[in-house]
Amino acid sequence: MGGSASPAAPGATSAVATSILLQLGGAALLYAILKAEQGWQVLTLLGLLGFGFYLLERFPWLSDFATESLARVPVVTAATAAVIVLGFPFVVGSNTYILHLLIVAQLYAVLALALNFQLGSANIPNFATGASYGIGAYVSALLALNFGVSFWLTLPIAALAATLFGFIIGIPSMRTRDTYLALVTIAFGVVVHQLLNNFDWTGGPNGLVGIPAPSLFGHSFADPLNVFGWKLPSQANFYYLAAALVVLAIVTANRLHNSRIGLAWNALRADEIAAKAQGINVAWYKVLAFAVDAFLAAFAGTIYAFYVSYISPDNFTFLVSVTIMTMVIVGGMDNIFGVIVGAFLLTILPEKLRAFSDYRLLFFGIVIILFLMIRPQGLFPQRLRQYGGRK
Amino acid sequence: MTELLVQQSVNWITLGSIYALLAIGFSLIFGVLNVIHFSHGDVAMTAPFIALAAAQALATVFGAAAPIWLVLAVLGAVLCVGLIGVALDKAIIRRFRDAPAMMALVATVALGIVIRELIRHLYPQGSNPHAFPRLVSGVAFEITGVPVSWFALTVVGLTVLLVALLFVFLHKTPLGLRIRAASEDRIVARMMGISDGRVFRATFLVASAIGAIAGLLFASYAGVTRFDFGVMAGLLGFSAAVIGGLGSMPGAIVGGLIIAGIEVLAQTFVPEGASYRLVFVFMLVIVVLIFRPAGLLGRTIMEKV
Repeated sequence: MGGSASPAAPGATSAVATSILLQLGGAALLYAILKAEQGWQVLTLLGLLGFGFYLLERFPWLSDFATESLARVPVVTAATAAVIVLGFPFVVGSNTYILHLLIVAQLYAVLALALNFQLGSANIPNFATGASYGIGAYVSALLALNFGVSFWLTLPIAALAATLFGFIIGIPSMRTRDTYLALVTIAFGVVVHQLLNNFDWTGGPNGLVGIPAPSLFGHSFADPLNVFGWKLPSQANFYYLAAALVVLAIVTANRLHNSRIGLAWNALRADEIAAKAQGINVAWYKVLAFAVDAFLAAFAGTIYAFYVSYISPDNFTFLVSVTIMTMVIVGGMDNIFGVIVGAFLLTILPEKLRAFSDYRLLFFGIVIILFLMIRPQGLFPQRLRQYGGRK
Repeated sequence: MTELLVQQSVNWITLGSIYALLAIGFSLIFGVLNVIHFSHGDVAMTAPFIALAAAQALATVFGAAAPIWLVLAVLGAVLCVGLIGVALDKAIIRRFRDAPAMMALVATVALGIVIRELIRHLYPQGSNPHAFPRLVSGVAFEITGVPVSWFALTVVGLTVLLVALLFVFLHKTPLGLRIRAASEDRIVARMMGISDGRVFRATFLVASAIGAIAGLLFASYAGVTRFDFGVMAGLLGFSAAVIGGLGSMPGAIVGGLIIAGIEVLAQTFVPEGASYRLVFVFMLVIVVLIFRPAGLLGRTIMEKV
């Protein structure tokens, strides 16, 4: 193994133990944070989290050891993750607020993973992810409300509509760069938000109300979920749906990262001109990054619309795009795990800061600025690509 | 029809001047730091609040609300905001000088949130809109029966004066020369013995003070100020600076006039244009950047490998 920084490559037994314990520990921490109500509890947990990241910064081999352990026994890792994800609603029980937070966090994780294709892999700024998310939500909601199209059919249609939008934003991206490109995407985001806000058929500022709950094999998602006698609240339906989408996003991200496309994006990030000189079709890969982002974001938008059954333009503002961007940067660009952690942290943190009620946004802003100053490379920085066989 | 045209032209020039002043701040800061200071609009919009608070304080201390207190308060606010800009640079923004551009963008967006929330919490009843007086009142003269207010004339005159002063400052003073050198190439400027700390301080002081003037004029034009005006002021000022070409002073002025122009046009000639004005503005931004990717007056830099 190339990682000379790690003192010892983990053996099989220790790898299994590390993998299971780490994931269980992570889940327990997440549960504790979700459960925390009082201000001091939140602060203690945040302090604990901060200490953890301090340890990671101080002893870099810790994270190498962890990643290698997880990668060494992929089956155990995946099985543990599956058990945790599937079992979480049972532990949470009837606490619908926690389930709600988890659903939103998962949807944001998908959005952040979507943006990661551009911002992380190819270093293309995109402030229009919120707009793609909104287009997905509105297209599917309008189809369901006006034509009674089923949820499962609106998913691909909304995704295609948003992908088209992604191509449309992608085209100016061939000519502009950096700050100028950022402004083009901001402009697209504002235009979409303003149009949604003004058109009559999108419900204007009031949005769309009464989006019907989806159903699968005769089971309506509005009904409580019955699993072998366990009764889970209706939110559990959407929790599992969102979890499935996260898995899909992770698999997509992984496959793309390891493909020629991911490599081309990384080449773009490293040096656009050098990439061009290597025969990479720069324009095409840039537009592709926009399209993939919009496609995944629309999935998240559709699930969101059907979950809350009420959408308005204010769910898809410029600030939403900025939040998604912050998740990617805070989590760690081009690091799938990091991006997901970033999304969970930044979704749950503002909710927990409700303990500080009115000062919530203020704290949120300060935390982000401090974070960017203290750890600019993100919680989990991107890892070098590894080629060749393992020892 | 003529009256309408004249009336709207006056509105256009007034609003355009305000946007141009905002855009100049973005352009100046970007030119020197290569960083987008996205919270510049929020910094600028603190000025009306500071002025209101100061005017009130002066009036309570010295009794009787005299117009002189408002003038003093406004001047104080401009100075104060300039210093706030310097402080923010020293504390936060300069740390992102060498970071990837997007990092600075996100950090300053977060900074904008913090500034808005601080206004909301520190100013009494900060969540509500607050009336802001016309700084200059009265009608100067009439063209074809359309009254042109002293306020409009003041805005335009002040903008011309500030731009002229800025030009003299940048081109005729040693400090201006240093600022231009640093924006040309910071590393070489440093090798020539130019302390970049001073350059940054001066840039932020000037840019934030000009922004504060724009903020005061904007609040005065609208007759009201709100803690979240900074978002739109920032977006429109940033757009004006970008379509004009970042780092170019004439570009910022042209950009400001164009943005204000499309806004006024949309409001006047398009049915329901007032609610769609931002759509028109940002569509225009997209179109301009498709055809002129570096802005109208921006320099296209040939990249070397």
